Amino acid sequence: MSRPDTLRRTLAVARAEWIHNWRDPRSLAIIIALPIMLLLLYGYAINFELRELTFAVQDWDRSEQSADLIDTLARSDYFTFHSLVETGEQIERLIEGGEVRFAIVIMPGFGEQIAAGKTGRVQVLLDGADSTTAGIAQGYLEGVMRAHSARLMKRWAKSRGIPASAAQPPIQPEPRVLYNPELKTASFIVPGLIAVIMTMLAALLTSGCIVREREAGSFEGLASSPIAPVEIIIGKLLPYAGIAVFDVMLCIATGGLIFHIWPSGDRAALLVVSLVYLIASLSIGLTISSVARSHQVATLIAFLTTMLPTMLLTGFVFPVRSMPKLLQYISQMIPATHFLVVIRAIYLKGTGVGPYIREVTALALISLVFVVVAAKAFRKSLE
Amino acid sequence: MPRDGGPAIEVNALTKRFGDFVAVDHISFTIDRGEVFGFLGPNGAGKSTTIRMLSGLLLPSEGSATVDGLDVGTETATLRTRIGYMPQLFSLYPDLTTRENLEFYGGLYGVGDDAIVRRIEELTQTIGLQSVLDQLTGTLSTGWRQRAALACAIVHEPPIVFLDEPTSGVDQQARQQFWDLIADLAAGGTTVLVTTHLMEEAERCTRLGMISRGSLIALDTPRALLETLEGLVFVVDVDEPLAGVRALSERSFVRDVGLSGTRIRVRVAEDLSDVRARLGQALATAGIAVREIRPTRPSLEDVFVALVGDAGGEDQ
Amino acid sequence: MAEASVRTKGLCKRFGEIVAVDGLDLRVEAGEIFGLVGSDGAGKTTTLRLLTGLMAPDSGEIMVAGVDVRAYPEDARRRLGYLPQTFALHGDLSIAENIRYFADLFCQDLGEVAERRDELLDATGLAEFTERRAQDLSGGMKQKAALICALIHRPTVLLLDEPTRGVDPVSRRDLWQIVYELPAEGVTVIVATPDADEAERCSRIGVIAGGAIVDAGTPEELVARHTARLIEVATEPTRQARRLVHDMPGVRAVSALGGHLRVSLEDDGPSADEISSALADEGLRVEGVREVEPRLEDALLALEVERDAA
Repeated sequence: MSRPDTLRRTLAVARAEWIHNWRDPRSLAIIIALPIMLLLLYGYAINFELRELTFAVQDWDRSEQSADLIDTLARSDYFTFHSLVETGEQIERLIEGGEVRFAIVIMPGFGEQIAAGKTGRVQVLLDGADSTTAGIAQGYLEGVMRAHSARLMKRWAKSRGIPASAAQPPIQPEPRVLYNPELKTASFIVPGLIAVIMTMLAALLTSGCIVREREAGSFEGLASSPIAPVEIIIGKLLPYAGIAVFDVMLCIATGGLIFHIWPSGDRAALLVVSLVYLIASLSIGLTISSVARSHQVATLIAFLTTMLPTMLLTGFVFPVRSMPKLLQYISQMIPATHFLVVIRAIYLKGTGVGPYIREVTALALISLVFVVVAAKAFRKSLE
Repeated sequence: MPRDGGPAIEVNALTKRFGDFVAVDHISFTIDRGEVFGFLGPNGAGKSTTIRMLSGLLLPSEGSATVDGLDVGTETATLRTRIGYMPQLFSLYPDLTTRENLEFYGGLYGVGDDAIVRRIEELTQTIGLQSVLDQLTGTLSTGWRQRAALACAIVHEPPIVFLDEPTSGVDQQARQQFWDLIADLAAGGTTVLVTTHLMEEAERCTRLGMISRGSLIALDTPRALLETLEGLVFVVDVDEPLAGVRALSERSFVRDVGLSGTRIRVRVAEDLSDVRARLGQALATAGIAVREIRPTRPSLEDVFVALVGDAGGEDQ
Repeated sequence: MAEASVRTKGLCKRFGEIVAVDGLDLRVEAGEIFGLVGSDGAGKTTTLRLLTGLMAPDSGEIMVAGVDVRAYPEDARRRLGYLPQTFALHGDLSIAENIRYFADLFCQDLGEVAERRDELLDATGLAEFTERRAQDLSGGMKQKAALICALIHRPTVLLLDEPTRGVDPVSRRDLWQIVYELPAEGVTVIVATPDADEAERCSRIGVIAGGAIVDAGTPEELVARHTARLIEVATEPTRQARRLVHDMPGVRAVSALGGHLRVSLEDDGPSADEISSALADEGLRVEGVREVEPRLEDALLALEVERDAA
């Protein structure tokens, strides 16, 4: 078996698969519409929640400045003012009862500090049981407060005749999260969501490509040619690797445009690591496609085997270090566990992949294992 | 309820389009009660689409049809109780026995419990199902499966039966027996519409419609259709049949030529004088020794090819 | 040349309880057009799949073009062309793209492929449709396109699994025309078919039933072996007539066509007159009786009857 022959057969399979994807409307819909749709659906759900964000205020200060802050929050598009409360117990009751999503506690001396050009302290109490909403609420709250703060700062600096940059930020919100200390913010959720959506999508993409040929009959033509199983697997992987990276870009763009959250670190490196990561999922899809009896079954298995573990065992929702030991070991074998660390770092910390070489190596190893599994699972036979 | 007065099936300019594709193109025919009407044509010609329209499974795009006096577009619910339909694909439950399948289909058509017992006994006799009554249909040979499927299709004693490619892939004996069953049904007054792409067996129909690319290209008794080619088909016995086929296919008066075993079967143009001499000369010119040239009985396939092929029409 | 082109010995293949191929011995010489004739479920498709190595036999030997298929399946595949019963092309690829795909899978020289392709496109009349997607072709065109792809690597053995099932008669003739040319190029062809009419076009046939070859020979040999005299009786109604004649002694088999019976008789069976008077006695109308030449379908029917009797 000479090398050019191997390459030629592999590329023949890749080319046929590539053409198929561009000509089949269903495939195109999965490639282009599905990732955008999933992110949009999630975005819509969160936006809907945001319109409902009611809050209570405990104002120890009762100054002009505190009233100004409450007024600003109440007039924002995102928040609805519920009531002024007197005690901490009242706040807890309101949050527990679901009547408000968060509460603001304005500390005594807030007005005086602002007036003196110092930092006034505000405590924010969030309902962390619904971490998604809480995270988004916190994000918006910080945004609103920051804008308010900047206005105050400008006003203060102007009144003193000094440049605004010399001033201290006048309001420092101190978020304290109830019930869920590991609160995830929107900027934390979006990269995680990209990891989950892409791992599922990648497996979905390839889960059909062998069983479909079996169902259509073209498998017999392929299998009765002298092509080797590994050539078929690599040939099938190639076009989908390209498609998967394209979809990651689509997800990043959608996340940026809808959630206003863009990766702040090395974006090229992110795409490369995504590719390494997704080869594992693509190979899982191919493995399923080799053994599944029908296209539908393959799709369902691909969905279940990628979506569930990725959502539950990788730190997307529940932090890995709070899991039982056994599950922690298992989570190490799931590619998304490692990828989440890298993608979050690139999004949030603005780094490259340099510090995460351990995770990238793990991803490469896992992907390699799954490619080998896919090649072994593939049978050039009709039995 | 029974509308024994009129024809069993009346089809008027029936048309079915799928997007741009015209699957059935303005076909018209009438089938009388007790006929075995054969619908003859290659796969994709529009046979199954027509049957599906006639059984109320597909709505016509244009034209009209009545089956047992019922309009196929508007009276489908009643229509379905008046017809038996045996689809091309094996439609029985493979993990049920023949008897259980019969009971199931009987139940579907509302045949009562007592009636079904009697009916199964009847069908066992007429179709000869004794030996397979309690076997899982999934384990039956193709011939037996088709018989069991026929029994299920007529368990509710419909006056009209549609059989879609019922003898595809069964052996010669089973094929003969199946056609005997069809003849029995017709003798009992049932109207049978049967599709097939196998031209030889279509001779057992009382009347044939040949369909090609959605259009009806011929409608007559098998005998009348065969007579159109009487005296035009010859069998030629030569030493080198392949070379002979090649030599003859170059001649303009030869309409169709192919091998039949080691002999050449050739159809020539109409109104030729002295065909044998012409054939002999064509072969002699190519240096092929001829042992015998004699006329033979034309087949329905010859008729079909003559109708479709002579126009030079390849399927587009 | 002494070595057969395709040879199997004691080939067996079981699927659970079902024995699909049961000690099949096959010997097909180079340059033959060999018909593997049997009904659905007789083991035709399984046999072809065993020959291509798409299925592994439970036991037995398979040699194709001098290669042991079990030991060197990929070498055998290079020498094999296979037209499966299911449509084996990619539906959303054009004819040209499908041809290129198979040329690549078999690593053919593209210059030679171009020549071969044009030759085959001409022969099939598909030259003007090369840009059309395979799924948009008619049944006959699909099969012709699939045949081109199966021949593009110049196989020495070509396996055709019911190549003309459901295909219009005109395309069917085109397909056979291509097949007829192959022996001259040294190609051995095996055609699986349930159809006597199709089998008659082969140079030699093997009748397969219950997963084994029950008889083999040229169509003429089989006709000679399994039929003696054949008479055609024009009579109505054919159904009763068939039953009546079927039960007469000395009658091997009866088949009914429209309006007449074909009766296969023993040498010492009833004469044409005896048959027609027997029918007349039962009140059936007899319009004519004549001796005709037996055909392969008569032989196959007689063979089935013999096997059932045994």
